[in-house]
Amino acid sequence: MQRQRPWLSILFWVLISFLTLFPIYWLFVISVKPAVDLFSTPDLILKSFYWDNYTEVLSDRTLRGYMMNSLIVSTGNAVLVTTLGFLACYALTRYDLGGKESIFFWMITNRMAPPAVFLLPLFLLMTQYYRIGDFTLLDTKIGLILVYCTLNLPFAIWTLRPTVEGIPKELDEAAYVDGASAWKVITEIVFPLARPGVAVTLILTWVFAWNEYLLAATLTNFNARTLTTGLSEYVTTTGTEWGIMATISVFTLIPALIVFSLVQRHIVTGLTFGAVKG
Amino acid sequence: MVAGGRAQFDGVTLRGVTESTPPSNFVSDVLAPKFEELTGIRVEIETTSWDQMYDKAIKDMEAGTGIYDMVYLEQDIVYAYLARDFLVDVTAALQEHPDLQAPGYDEANFTTFADNFRGENGGLYGTPMEAFIKVYLYRTDLFEDEEIRAAFQEQTGRELEPAKTHEEYAEIAEFFTRWGQEHDLDLWGTTAQAHTGHPASWYEYFESVAPTYGVYDWGIKPDQNYAASVENGGEMNSDEAKAAMTWWLSMRDLAPPESVQSTWTEVATTFAAGRAAQGLVYGENAAWIATDDSQSRVVGEVGVAMPPLEDGVMEDAESGEGYIGYYDGGAFGMPVTSNNQDAALLFMQFMALPEVQEDWAIAGSRITLNSTYDAPRVQEVDAELGGYYTMLRDDGRLFKGAPEYPFHRQLIEATAPIFYQILTGDLEPGEGLDQMAAKSEEELTSLGYRTN
Amino acid sequence: MQSNKLGWFLLAPTLVVLFFFGVIPFFYVVWLAFHQWNPFAVNPEIVFNGAANFRQLVFDQGFLASLGVTIAFVFFAVTTELIIGYALAQAFMRDFPGKAFFRTIHTLPLIMAPIIVGSIWKLMTTPSIGIIPQFLDNWFGYDLNIGQSALAAFTVTVIMDVWHWTPLVTLTMIAALVSLPPDPFEQAQIDGANKRQIFWHITLPMIRPAILATVFIRLMDALRTVDEVLMLTGGGPGSATRYLGVHIFKEVFPKTNYGYGSAVSVIVLYLTIVVCWLLFVALIAPRNKKG
Repeated sequence: MQRQRPWLSILFWVLISFLTLFPIYWLFVISVKPAVDLFSTPDLILKSFYWDNYTEVLSDRTLRGYMMNSLIVSTGNAVLVTTLGFLACYALTRYDLGGKESIFFWMITNRMAPPAVFLLPLFLLMTQYYRIGDFTLLDTKIGLILVYCTLNLPFAIWTLRPTVEGIPKELDEAAYVDGASAWKVITEIVFPLARPGVAVTLILTWVFAWNEYLLAATLTNFNARTLTTGLSEYVTTTGTEWGIMATISVFTLIPALIVFSLVQRHIVTGLTFGAVKG
Repeated sequence: MVAGGRAQFDGVTLRGVTESTPPSNFVSDVLAPKFEELTGIRVEIETTSWDQMYDKAIKDMEAGTGIYDMVYLEQDIVYAYLARDFLVDVTAALQEHPDLQAPGYDEANFTTFADNFRGENGGLYGTPMEAFIKVYLYRTDLFEDEEIRAAFQEQTGRELEPAKTHEEYAEIAEFFTRWGQEHDLDLWGTTAQAHTGHPASWYEYFESVAPTYGVYDWGIKPDQNYAASVENGGEMNSDEAKAAMTWWLSMRDLAPPESVQSTWTEVATTFAAGRAAQGLVYGENAAWIATDDSQSRVVGEVGVAMPPLEDGVMEDAESGEGYIGYYDGGAFGMPVTSNNQDAALLFMQFMALPEVQEDWAIAGSRITLNSTYDAPRVQEVDAELGGYYTMLRDDGRLFKGAPEYPFHRQLIEATAPIFYQILTGDLEPGEGLDQMAAKSEEELTSLGYRTN
Repeated sequence: MQSNKLGWFLLAPTLVVLFFFGVIPFFYVVWLAFHQWNPFAVNPEIVFNGAANFRQLVFDQGFLASLGVTIAFVFFAVTTELIIGYALAQAFMRDFPGKAFFRTIHTLPLIMAPIIVGSIWKLMTTPSIGIIPQFLDNWFGYDLNIGQSALAAFTVTVIMDVWHWTPLVTLTMIAALVSLPPDPFEQAQIDGANKRQIFWHITLPMIRPAILATVFIRLMDALRTVDEVLMLTGGGPGSATRYLGVHIFKEVFPKTNYGYGSAVSVIVLYLTIVVCWLLFVALIAPRNKKG
């Protein structure tokens, strides 16, 4: 690789980073301003800080509950779809299943549905049909985890397939010859090699679930509300409380940021997206 | 309250859905715990956004799920719910269950606003909890400034007073917008709720501007087969409606530039930030604009007046044929699908007890009982608000909520795209209103209200 | 090779979940698409009306306009993301101090919720009080008004989408570039090929699968965009940014026009599937040829 003039690269990336970071910086600016100050000629640099939004958000017990729900739902969903997706990809790449390309494509199409209309059947199914006695899936974390599968399973399969495909089949075959069970081959041979892809899938599906709004807003009421639905409480006929919204947004960023930086180094190697070498 | 009821309601939890507004927050933060202490009934209130609130309540009641025991009824949705028999008649339910009648609850104590929630039989279908009028706010500090008054006098030949007519209002708006430019101030002559992609603009025109030109109930005539166009007997594209639109657009051009992205919230904040000399602002915001210095830069500088009118409109309003502006608000109603109707009935009465109303009026700047006007602390605040509560009491009857249509949001959404085109200038006001009237009739036909 | 039974067994959980939460709702929506249902019509019942919804749809100006602006939005957004994403990925192929740090910063927009992105961009672009119009006015005398100018609003939604999603493209492009074998490039340099020739004849064909795969995923996500745009412009000014997702939302939520809204959704889903299928065929064709 070329190594000339690293400072040029650095300068370039500082400029790009400025563009990337500016809206996030602005989010922070909004969160530390009283609403009335948003309606004036804007200043680029913050001159004073107004922390009331933060004290209000931090002292709000319901929001803490929402945060917990969000964590459980996104983690549960990411783990579930990655596991199922991984197994599905193993099946698709290792077995000669009839019509598997069509099945694969059909699975992906589940992500394409425009969400607004599908809320209605989901609501009906979750309140009236998918029930055990008095227990219905509406307003439960498990319900949300399952519903998010329609969005995230296709994505997981899409990202994982090239990874699993890229692991030489000879490895499995050698293990089978040695008498290993399928379970053992999957967990001890294929999975470790697929780790970067799995990490990327986990993090991206986690982020999608963490950020999802419309489904959560409709399918939860009291017990399973997530942080993004908490945001909508501040968009009303009497007022959109931009400051509080921005503050909650800042809080939604923190866990996502932590999770993201944890797997940062895997991201590049894991995101091969069908770019399998011949 | 109902001490003997404790055992009966053991372990009952009431669930309600509402928007997150100061009055609603008062219900969940103050009234609910107090009620639980008294009766042992837990009350959980789900707060969500405006769109979501309707959608969730409708899905629940339509599917008969029974999630909610109480739903928020914006005054404009109640007719749709009544048409579908979604709600319990509280008056009748209390007559059937005299044992559930709370001492101190008196239906006759409600202000006239409660009439919006009565069915054809006169029964009450909800406990009013928010009630505001959309008023004309002006900046007293500017209107009383000697230099400004002198300049205004010189330019127009008359005293600077809150406008009584649209002409006067326009004159003042022009004056202040120019004044702002000349003195390099962030000051404009009027507000405008003129968002080009959000129905807030539709509401401002049809609920607050068109009536002041004598075009009532959106210009639709229910008794004439729901006609909207002039040729069929409606008024949506009448000359008055067109004049109102032209005037309103000219005001929008004098308003601060953010107005094209303004819903009710932004209008209030624009005024609170001191960027407009006058404007039509929803009453729920009037209180914090006038008194809360953490949110407003014009505390103590807010005057309240009646909206500017065309000739004859006041006479219409006095006689009950018309109205001069928008009376906004909401109530809590009980879906027939609720599984805890007795307990919900208790809570709905509890919300309307005179003893909880004074604090509520202070916290949420809303009044729904006649007796609350006389409370000493309410009268104190009234003075700070420039007489807003007095106006609500004395002149509230001149204002009116949304017309009694069960197709409220359907019609708005059907016509809104054309309306936005008028705002962006893609359509002339006259042509745009013609198209809107035609579109209204088309939509009402397809919904089955209008028959060919 | 192990028995196919095991393969189906491993695939089964995925198929079951997608069946209950994807297929059944889908059939319900298809069923509704052939019915007239608005709970606030005079007749609030669900009434079979054959293909009337679809017939109406073909002449529905609102829908057609929405389809048009959506195609334009997706085209400009995805193309821009590809070009910038590729350029940035190339820039990341050099070695320089702090590379990992800058890469982390560059991926930050990905972690933001669409509804938050929409709110921030709204506050940044509101005429007169937003920082961007302010800046453009002070420095270039340009009046950016997303409440009045259709072009401005459209452009801002595209820029917002580019800001939000380019990082994903960059990452996939990096992954593709890293995995390229060095030999063909060295050979081409020896043969005296210039940069442009190398790009068109070597790099591009080799990363073609990655490009198609990225376009595939971005395309289907961009077609579903709702939250950001609803927050930013509400679909305005006029109908300038009333993309299909927003159009369907307005048809279903405020208008409670469930039957017609379902028909629109079915058609949109169908169009998405067709476009994605074409991409998919292009993507797997070389793979199958080899096998």
